[in-house]
Amino acid sequence: MIGSASLVAGAVLLLLLLAVVTKGWLAARQLQDVAPASREEDAMEPCAQEVVSRIFSRADWEFVRGLKAGRIERLFEQERKRVALVWVRQTSATIRKVMREHAQAARQSANLNFSTEINIFAQFLTLMAVCGTLSIAIQITGPVWLGGLAHYAQRLSQQVTKLQESFHAGSLAKAEGTGRG
Amino acid sequence: MTYMDVPDKKVTVKEAYDDLLRRSLSKIRGDMARLIYLASTRDYNTGKYQHDGLAARFQAEIAGQALEMAHREIFHRLAACSLQELVGEVEIYVSSSRQSREEILEVWQKLEPYRVALPVDVNVAAAQLFVSNVKLALAILCLRQQLEAMETSAS
Repeated sequence: MIGSASLVAGAVLLLLLLAVVTKGWLAARQLQDVAPASREEDAMEPCAQEVVSRIFSRADWEFVRGLKAGRIERLFEQERKRVALVWVRQTSATIRKVMREHAQAARQSANLNFSTEINIFAQFLTLMAVCGTLSIAIQITGPVWLGGLAHYAQRLSQQVTKLQESFHAGSLAKAEGTGRG
Repeated sequence: MTYMDVPDKKVTVKEAYDDLLRRSLSKIRGDMARLIYLASTRDYNTGKYQHDGLAARFQAEIAGQALEMAHREIFHRLAACSLQELVGEVEIYVSSSRQSREEILEVWQKLEPYRVALPVDVNVAAAQLFVSNVKLALAILCLRQQLEAMETSAS
């Protein structure tokens, strides 16, 4: 009896999870139509920390809730969700671009540092996982409760970008040194 | 001409920027109005900023760079400000305009002219946040207006 009840509960949970993932996937597809990925990757400016804080701001939500207007609350939830998903897609696209550039530079590099490569790749995988989690969590709860995770993703993205930049600068310096020698 | 005679371009852009702040932008009330003003100095076809007075005091190119610098700075300020502050900014813009409040709110909601006020190549998420917040601010101001109208008719 207990066994069949837990089986049913498990199946319901699985169905719920599938529904959430499908919803997230559909929303991401809709978003792709609105904002092409190339535009996000080619963004000239990095996203400022204050903008990330604002997208995931709880203070804005409290201000809207204080208005006691259901229509405005719904509009706010819908709008912030959309903007937060744009930011997640932008972060993910930027980091994929950085990794592509890094892979290209690494292929041409003669002396790779194994631990640096593992470190960059591990951070890249973590960031991709965080972005995926954020996309689904934004769909379920909205961005207001996810500020901590978003800031973590932002920091990780900056770290990977810096590591790639220092790798690139190091490769250039070595190539110049070899050229002169 | 020696190298000492060549003006430092960055210093000159900064001077033009300070001049723009002092003579023009300080006289405009509110960042939203400043943003709209700066966007209006940009040519739709070329994307270049033009300001005759500033160009006369400096060079057209330097004046253009100073205008762009100010445009970006004000945009970033507005994009990162709280929703409550942005509602205040839109309120200042609406109330200081010659047109009626109702008309501006209606037209802004329909035409969304603030989308044209974005500087070029700004971060996509920042641009989307700004547009989304202005949309929300307009909805909040409309709601306040409706509530005021209801209160007036009730009394």
